[in-house]
Amino acid sequence: MMNGYRAYLPILPVAATYALLLGIGVVSPDHWQLIAQLAFYCALGQAFNLFMGMTGYVDFGYVAFLGIGTYGMAVSIYTLSDKGLGIGVVLIGLVLAAIFSLGLSLAVGAVALRLRGAYFAIATIGVNEGFRYLLEGARIWNGADGIIFSRHLRQGVGRQTAMALSTWWADILVFGVAFLAAVLTLVYMRNKVGYALLALREDEDAAKVMGINVTRYKIIAFITSAILAGLLGASAWALKLTYVYPSDVFAIHYTVEAIIIVLLGGAGTLLGPIFGALTYGAAKYFLAIVLPGFQLLIFAPVIIAIIVLFPDGTVGLLKKRLRDTPLGKFII
Amino acid sequence: MKTNRLSIGLLILTALLCGFPSLLPAAALKRIVIGHPEALSGQYAKAGEQAIGGIQAAVEWVNTVHGGVRIEGRQIPLDYKFYDCESRKESVTSLLERLITSDKVHFTMAPYSSGLTLAGAPVTEKYGMIYLNHGGASDKIFEQGFEYIVQTIGPGSQYHAGTLEMIRHLDPKAKRLALAYEDSEFARSVMDGAEAKAKQLGFQIVFKRTYPQAVADLTPLLSDLKASNPEIVLGGGHFQDGQLLNKQLADLKINVKLLSLIAAATLPAFGNALGPLAEGVMGPSHWEYGVTFSPEAAQKNELPWIGPEQDEFVNLFKKATGQELIPDYHAAEAAAAVLALVAAVEKAGSVDSDLVRKAFGELEFMSFYGTWKIDATGKQVGHDMVDVQWQQGERKIVWPLATKTADVVYPKPRFK
Repeated sequence: MMNGYRAYLPILPVAATYALLLGIGVVSPDHWQLIAQLAFYCALGQAFNLFMGMTGYVDFGYVAFLGIGTYGMAVSIYTLSDKGLGIGVVLIGLVLAAIFSLGLSLAVGAVALRLRGAYFAIATIGVNEGFRYLLEGARIWNGADGIIFSRHLRQGVGRQTAMALSTWWADILVFGVAFLAAVLTLVYMRNKVGYALLALREDEDAAKVMGINVTRYKIIAFITSAILAGLLGASAWALKLTYVYPSDVFAIHYTVEAIIIVLLGGAGTLLGPIFGALTYGAAKYFLAIVLPGFQLLIFAPVIIAIIVLFPDGTVGLLKKRLRDTPLGKFII
Repeated sequence: MKTNRLSIGLLILTALLCGFPSLLPAAALKRIVIGHPEALSGQYAKAGEQAIGGIQAAVEWVNTVHGGVRIEGRQIPLDYKFYDCESRKESVTSLLERLITSDKVHFTMAPYSSGLTLAGAPVTEKYGMIYLNHGGASDKIFEQGFEYIVQTIGPGSQYHAGTLEMIRHLDPKAKRLALAYEDSEFARSVMDGAEAKAKQLGFQIVFKRTYPQAVADLTPLLSDLKASNPEIVLGGGHFQDGQLLNKQLADLKINVKLLSLIAAATLPAFGNALGPLAEGVMGPSHWEYGVTFSPEAAQKNELPWIGPEQDEFVNLFKKATGQELIPDYHAAEAAAAVLALVAAVEKAGSVDSDLVRKAFGELEFMSFYGTWKIDATGKQVGHDMVDVQWQQGERKIVWPLATKTADVVYPKPRFK
């Protein structure tokens, strides 16, 4: 067991990366939306990794937590903007997003976390699709019509503030979520939760026999990861885009993107999702510009090649190579 | 020396990060550029591909036939730059910003669909850029107070306005109207508009119900519909459900005077799939190959005519896409948006967003796509839909009278 501040040194490269990204965005505001998109992928990867990387469970319904978080913010702005709360509606939106995703994760976790492997993955796909159809079919929160709240946001906080919220502060919040996800991942890794999850990931039955309450630790990781996703949805999708349609937010390809990001970088590592997110996000963006329409054709084989060549992810490989060097203590 | 090199290196790095164009002095206006993050992959790829072909055809016409955009006696070439947003909302914002800040485009165009159009709006509003909406039909976009969105596609609420007027024209006694449609934002806005228009024209809504997306059986709903004894049925949402609705109406022998299905009935595949069952079924469309808008028609309506005639457009479209492809309405409306832009810029005599936006407000014209006029919010109010009807296995334009290619068959033939 590592003690003291040395155990938390790996947060430095994370902080440095985010500071650099923010710095580039501030120096070159023309590229802010690109930076914001990269930050979104970083946050998505980090939040997803907290559960998938640490437990080995693949949650195919993960995007449902982002979706419900988006609704948390949307509902707050849509219904409370005329109550004179000003910027308070955004804070209430974040709280609602956290509460909604907490609720959904408890409901899902109670059922799905009893399953393992492929059964867990399939059950979670069902959750995402089922939840979307529940909203649409029962016409909860306007059903398929979605919530468009651009006008409400502007009325609540004023035109200039609304614009700043959508094009700047929403992205800063995304950075916040990404950093929070990294800190929580590291804290879990360095504490009992992390060791329990490590044991469970390697062999769940053996962990149980050794007296580890596996269900408890799985639920802790699941809920944390879900709340982070809820906050991410509330900032990157609701506050930034000011509308929500169920078909847009409960879209399974975001889960697939999260899986790719985590696998590219290395599941269960701290720096992996960041590396994966930056590579994936930047490559996608520039290919869309250089070869519009063909980027996915080129991208797919590259991803497959990377995953085959580096089964532990790029950071996973780096971690092994640098284990006994001075750099080793920064990379996990 | 070392410090000097370091500072030069840092300078170059900053310059690279900021993007070189910003270091160059602002040049005189040599080209006018439209920037567009369009869906070339993902769920809207088909519509996006058509739109890009239509825009390229219109740009080609502006540069070769029209001689460029005419500002203050100069003729400035029009340029078009697009990226693939993969039908994803995050990509729309970052690509739009790149187009505005790095590529320095003068005007922006929204990707297909209401959702993606909304996704880009905060960015274009921030930069005060004209944002041409060619494929976002939701009326709600225009209730948000955006200042720079200009719509060319007709709003959803207007889809059945022409159909209902046609029925009034043909059969003033018809009264009993049923609405059976998909539970989607698009179908809902179409049917809410139809309901309002129907009430205004004195119809009685005897049935109104939605069915879920990807529905597999409509028999229970249609049995209830039959009990309400309607004369007219308006419905649909997408292709699959529209086809099912038609087929099961035939199975249950529910015969009405008119059946109009949004989206489905205007597609060629509809007739192929249903054969004789499609006979007499109608659908509203933004535009169809074969409509007869022409410079003469414009003159008759005392409107200026802008752009190529239909066949000229189709040829330009085929050249742009490199395929033997007949353009559909996605291509036509995107091309019409470009023509409107050129007219507005020429009217304003500038590329300044505010001046051009003001000129858009005063603009009214006809092109091969039909008439064009917006209200104060930027919503399209001048464009009339056309109604098509399946007759002997072919789609015929039957309404408005001015553009029809065949007479409407009313009441529609009974299901055999």
